[in-house]
Amino acid sequence: MRLKSGLTLNASGMVHAETGLVFPKPDRSAAGLRYWHLCFAMYASCILNLADTVAGSAAVVAPAAEASAVDSPVDRPNGKEIYAARCASCHGENGEGSPAVPQPLFGDRPTVDLADVISRTMPDGNPEECVGEDAGAVAEYMQQAFYSPEAQARLHPPRIELSRLTVSQYRNALADLSAGFRWFARPSTSRGLKAEYYSSRNNRRDRRVFEQIDRQVNFQFGAFSPDGEKISEEEFSVRWQGSLIVQESGSYEFILQTENAGRLYVNDPANPLIDAWVRSGSDTEFRGRRYLLAGRIYPIVLEWFKFKEATASVQLLWKPPHRQQECIPSRNLTPEPSPRLLIVETPFPPDDRSSGYERGNFVSREWDDATTNAAIEAADKMLELLPSLIRAGDDGRRRSRANRSDAENAQKPAEDDENEKIRILAAEFSERAFRRPLTDDQRTRYIDRQFESTADPKEALRRVILLTLKSPLFLYREPEQKNDAFDRASVLSFALLNSIPDKSLFEAAGSGKLETDKQLRDQAWRLMADPRAQSRLKEFLRSWMNLDHLHEIDKDKTAFPDFTADIASDMRTSLELLLDKVTTSENASLNELLTTDLTFLNGRLGQFYGVSISNEADFEEVRFEPDQRSGIISHPFLLSGFSYQRASSPIHRGVFVFRGVLGRALKPPPVAVAPAAPDLAPDLTTRERVHLQTSPEMCANCHRMINGLGFSLENFDAVGRYRETEQRKQVDAQGSYLTRTGELAQFSGAKELAEFLASSDETRRGVSRQLFHFMVQQPVMAYGPETLNELSQFLSQHQDNLKHLMVEIACRAATGQGTQTSEAENGASGVVEPLTESP
Amino acid sequence: MKTRRAFLKQLGLSTAVLPFVSNLSSLAVSGTESLRKQRLVIMFSPNGTVPWDFWPDEEGEQFTLKPILEPLRDFQNRMLVLKGVCDKVRGDGDNHMRGMGCLLTGIELYPGNIQGGSDTPAGWASGISIDQEIAAWLQSKEETRTRFGSLEFGVMVPDRADTWTRMSYLGGNKPVAPIDDPYQMFRKLYGKKAEREQLVSILDDVELDLKKLSGIVSRGDRQLLEEHTTFVREMEQRLKSEPQETGHPVPSLEPGVSEENDNIPQIAKMQLDLMVNSFVNDFARVATFQITNSVGQPKMRWLGIDEGHHELSHEPDENKEAHAKLTKINTWYAEQLAYLTRRLAETPEPGGQGSLLDNTLILWGNELGQGNSHTLNNIPFVMVGNGLDFRMGRSLQYPKVPHNRLLVALAHGFGHHIESFGNPEFCKDGVLTGLV
Repeated sequence: MRLKSGLTLNASGMVHAETGLVFPKPDRSAAGLRYWHLCFAMYASCILNLADTVAGSAAVVAPAAEASAVDSPVDRPNGKEIYAARCASCHGENGEGSPAVPQPLFGDRPTVDLADVISRTMPDGNPEECVGEDAGAVAEYMQQAFYSPEAQARLHPPRIELSRLTVSQYRNALADLSAGFRWFARPSTSRGLKAEYYSSRNNRRDRRVFEQIDRQVNFQFGAFSPDGEKISEEEFSVRWQGSLIVQESGSYEFILQTENAGRLYVNDPANPLIDAWVRSGSDTEFRGRRYLLAGRIYPIVLEWFKFKEATASVQLLWKPPHRQQECIPSRNLTPEPSPRLLIVETPFPPDDRSSGYERGNFVSREWDDATTNAAIEAADKMLELLPSLIRAGDDGRRRSRANRSDAENAQKPAEDDENEKIRILAAEFSERAFRRPLTDDQRTRYIDRQFESTADPKEALRRVILLTLKSPLFLYREPEQKNDAFDRASVLSFALLNSIPDKSLFEAAGSGKLETDKQLRDQAWRLMADPRAQSRLKEFLRSWMNLDHLHEIDKDKTAFPDFTADIASDMRTSLELLLDKVTTSENASLNELLTTDLTFLNGRLGQFYGVSISNEADFEEVRFEPDQRSGIISHPFLLSGFSYQRASSPIHRGVFVFRGVLGRALKPPPVAVAPAAPDLAPDLTTRERVHLQTSPEMCANCHRMINGLGFSLENFDAVGRYRETEQRKQVDAQGSYLTRTGELAQFSGAKELAEFLASSDETRRGVSRQLFHFMVQQPVMAYGPETLNELSQFLSQHQDNLKHLMVEIACRAATGQGTQTSEAENGASGVVEPLTESP
Repeated sequence: MKTRRAFLKQLGLSTAVLPFVSNLSSLAVSGTESLRKQRLVIMFSPNGTVPWDFWPDEEGEQFTLKPILEPLRDFQNRMLVLKGVCDKVRGDGDNHMRGMGCLLTGIELYPGNIQGGSDTPAGWASGISIDQEIAAWLQSKEETRTRFGSLEFGVMVPDRADTWTRMSYLGGNKPVAPIDDPYQMFRKLYGKKAEREQLVSILDDVELDLKKLSGIVSRGDRQLLEEHTTFVREMEQRLKSEPQETGHPVPSLEPGVSEENDNIPQIAKMQLDLMVNSFVNDFARVATFQITNSVGQPKMRWLGIDEGHHELSHEPDENKEAHAKLTKINTWYAEQLAYLTRRLAETPEPGGQGSLLDNTLILWGNELGQGNSHTLNNIPFVMVGNGLDFRMGRSLQYPKVPHNRLLVALAHGFGHHIESFGNPEFCKDGVLTGLV
C-alpha cells in the first residue's frame, strides 16, 4: 500500500521510502504503547526535518507545495525556522495557539492560499516582514507540521472510542427487539389502502357491499352514498386498512376531518389514536400524535361511518415533521398489513454533534434518567405485546420442531408451559439486546435469578427487560471489544440499519458464517436491500445537505405574495422525492443527485414556477428549466432555504456547497455581522452588495473561498425562481473555487457548478468522510491514514454509487482495522479533521 | 343545618357504631369537624331495579328493608333511601343514553350519531358531571388537594367509548373513561413505587457489569464508564432516600385475573379493595365505581343466572321468574355496596378520628327506574355513610323532584355552594331538602 507522504505500510508498520525509517505498529501492552509513542515522536521529527531538506518529500504531504518546491534546498528559506522565530510566540509551537491568540491553526486550505494570507496579514501589524518565498515556506511548513488534517491526525492519532448507543440507535434497537420475535413487514409496491364499504353504520360483515383500493382517504360524498344502488345515503360505513410508510423519523400529527364519525388506529390496534366514534356537537376535526421511526411501516386502520347526518365527507391528513398538513399521500400508504412496533417515546437529551455527526460519546444524568424511563416504557409495551410474542414463539418452535426428530421433540415438553415460554422469551430478549449469546454468569444473573425472585412470570419478564435495557452490555457499542463475529455483526448492522442485528445476521455470526470477506459482504448487501438502509442513506443525504437547519422557510409577503407555507412544504416534498428516487434506485448515484435535470413538481409548485402542469396534479417528474438547473444544486427548496426573506444569499449557498457538498472546513466568522439590507444600497445587485460587505481583509480570508461558489447560483432569486436581471442589471453568475490542491476552478451558472462538483474528487472525498462518520460514529482516521483516500477512489471506481460505498464502509468498519487504544493512554483527546463538518 | 348533636343522636341509635360515636363526639366538642376529610363515592349499576323488592314501604326513621337492600342491614342506620327523585332531562337520545349521560351531569346530550333503541340519536353529555365538579372544587384548595383528585373505577366496562359506557364528564364532550382493569388501576396508584423497588433490585447488577467492562476497556474509555457508574449510584441513592409516598403497605393483587364475565365478582372486589386503599393513602377524595354500563349485560352465572341482565330487565312485571332473577341480580349489586361499606367502616381514618365510613358518603344510582318501562322516574338512589352532614338512617319519599337538586345537595355537602347544577331549569326549587 502506498501512502500519501512517501510512506508504505507493511507487516511491521509504516516505512518511509527515502530514509527506510520504520514506524512500527503498536502492540497492545503498555510497554508496546510507550515504545510506539517514542517512535512516533522520533519519526515525526525526522519527517519534519526531511520536509525542509529533501525536495519532493514534503510536497506529497501538502500537494500544493509541489508547485513551489525548488531545486536547491540551500537557497530556500527555512519555513520551520521562520515559523519558530516569528509565529510560534503567538500561535504556539504546533499551531495550538496561546493566551494571546487562543484559536488553534488547523484546516484544509491549500498552501498557496495560506501563503497568500500570511503575505497579506502576518505577522500581525507588520505583514511586509514575511512575504513571497518566506510566506510560502512558512505555509508549507505549517501545512505538513500541524495545519492539514493529515498532520493533525499525526499529532493527535485518532482512535475508536467506546461509545454508547445514540438516541436513534436506542429507539431503533427497541423497535427491532420487539419486531424481531415476529415478522418483518416490507411494503409491497401497491399503494393506497384497502377499503371495505358497508351498507350499515357498523361494519357488519353481512352488509359488506364492495371492496377496493383507495389511493387516499379524501372523500366528499355530499348527500349521496358511495353506491347509489346498493347503499342508502342515510347510513353507511367504510373501513380502510393497511400500513403507513414512514421515511423520516419524528413526531407525526394525524388529523381526521369529518362531519360524521370515525376512529383512527396507528401502530396500536387496541387503542385508537383518534376516537371520534361518537359524533357529538359540531366538532369536525380530530387530532392525535405519534412518534414514528423512519424506514419502517406501521399498521393503520380508519373506521368511519355516516348515520343520518345531512352530508358525508372524510379526509385523513397528517402533518409530517418539517412539513405542512396534507392529505396522507398514496405513496405513504400500502394495503399490506404489518405488525405493531414498539416505539419508545421517552424524550432523551440530544446526542453530541460537535464533530458533525451524531455520536454517543458522553453520558449525563439526564441521559441515565432517560434510559431508566425508556426501559420502564419499553417493559410496559413489551408486556402489552406479550401474547403476540408468545404466539410468534410458538410458530417458530413449531417450525423448528418439524425439522427435528421425534426423540428430540420428546425432550422438550417444557416449552409448552406458559411460564417456560416467557422465560425463553426473556433470555432471547437479553441475547438480542446484547448482540451476543449470554454467558453462564449472565444467564444466572439476568434470567434465572429474576424468575426465582417472583412467582409471576410476567413480573419476572419485566425485571429482565429493565435490567437488560439498563445494562452497559446493551447501552454500549461492542463494549467487550472482542472483535469477533458477533462484534462484526453488530458493527455491520448499526452501520447499515442503525440498529441491532436481525435474526439471520445474528445466527450467521453464531454459526461461523460471518468469517470471510464474501460472507460479510453478502450479509451487507442483504441488509442494504432493507428499506431501513435506504432510509438511512436518505437520512445521510439530508444531513449532508444540512436540511436540519432549514425548518420553516418564510418569505417577504410583499416581495413574494404567492409564497405560502404550503409552497415551502411542497418544495421540501419535491426534494424528498428526488432523494427517494436516487436512494431507491440501484445506481444510487451521487452524480445523478448533482446533475439530473428532472425535478418533482405538483400542480401548486408548477403554478408557482410557471410550469404548465394541471393545478390539481400530484407530484410528477418533469424536466424543469433543464438549461438552467441541475440536480440538488439548483433545487427550489435549497435555493429558497439558503436565502433571506427578500434577497438571495450567495454566502449561505456558498457555505452549503463548500462545507456540505465539498466537505471543506470552515471556521465561524471572527465577528458577527448583520447582512447589509438591500435598501441601504438599492442600486447594487446582491452580488455587488455581498462583495462590498465581505471585502475587508478580516472577512475576505474566508469569503474568498465561499462567495465564488454562491455567486454562480445568482440566477435564482430568494424563492428559487430563475432570473436574468436584478436591479435592471444583468445577473453575473460567474463563479470560482480554489481547490485543495491550489487550482482555481471557474464556472458560470448552476449547471457548470454542478458539473464541476460532480467531477471533483473533493466531492467524493467529502461525501466518503461524512458518510463514514454518519454510519460508523467513529473518526475515519482511526481506521488507517489511507482509508479515506481509498473510499474516495472506491466511489469513483463504482460509478459514484452510494450503496456500494455504504457496503464498503460497513465492511471496513466491521473488520475494524482501526485502533481502540492509543492516545487514551497518553491522556490526549483524539482530534480529527477538526471543524470540517461543524455546522 | 342539622346540629352535630342531633347527628350524633341519630348515630347513637345503632349499637354497632358506639366506639365511633365517642370518637366523633370529641371532634364535635373541639369544633374542628370542618377540618375532617370528606369523600364521595358514586356507585352505578345498570338496567333499573325491581321496585317492589327495592323501595321500603315506610317513610322516616322506622322502615323495613326489602330483599334487594337486605345486604345493607348492618348499616340501615347509616343509610338514606331516596324515592321520588327523577331524571327529568329530555332531548336527544333514548332513555338508556340519557339515563347514563345525564345521571351525574343533569344536562342534555348533544345531538349526535349514537342511535339507541328509540328516539333520536345523540352524542355526549353537554356538561360536567357532579363527581368531577366536586373533585375540581377539592383540588382547587390546598387543604383538600390530593394526588389524583378523583379515581374512576369500572367493572367489565365494554371496550368502546359511547354514551352508554360513560357517566363521568370533565365537561361537555369530555367523557372520562373508567379504568376497569384492576392491574391498570394498581399501576396508576402504585406503579411508581413498584417500579422504584424493581429498579433498586436491578441496579447492583448494572454496577457489576459496568465494573467488569471497566476492567476490559482502555483508560480513556474507562472514564466514560466511571461517569456512568456515578449516575447509577446516584440514582440508587435517590431511589432509596426518596420519601415513601405513604406509610401504608401496597395492597397485593391476586395475579392473572383476566377481564371476563365470570371474573366479575373477583374484579369488583379487587377494585373496591384498591379504592379503600387509595382512600387510606389519601390519593383521592372522590371516586366512581361503575359496574358494566348502561344496558349492561353481565351474565351472573355465579348466581345460577345464564341470561344477560339487560335482556332480563325487559321482561314484563308478570314474568315472576325473570323478576326473581332480577331481584337476585340487584341484590348482588347491593352486596358490592355492602362490601365497600363494611371495608370503609372497618378501616380507621388515618390521622383522624373514627373510620373511613364516618367521612365518606356513597351514592348508589342507576340509569333507569325500572328496566321494562325504561322510566327515568324513581331512580333507585341509596346513600350510605357519614361523609356529608346528612341525617342518615331514613327512608325518604319525594314528590317526583328532579335529580339535579340532589346533585346540588352533594356539592353543598362539601361546602361548595352552587345554585344550580346541569340544566338550571330543574334547580328552580333549590337544593334538595330533607337531607340534613
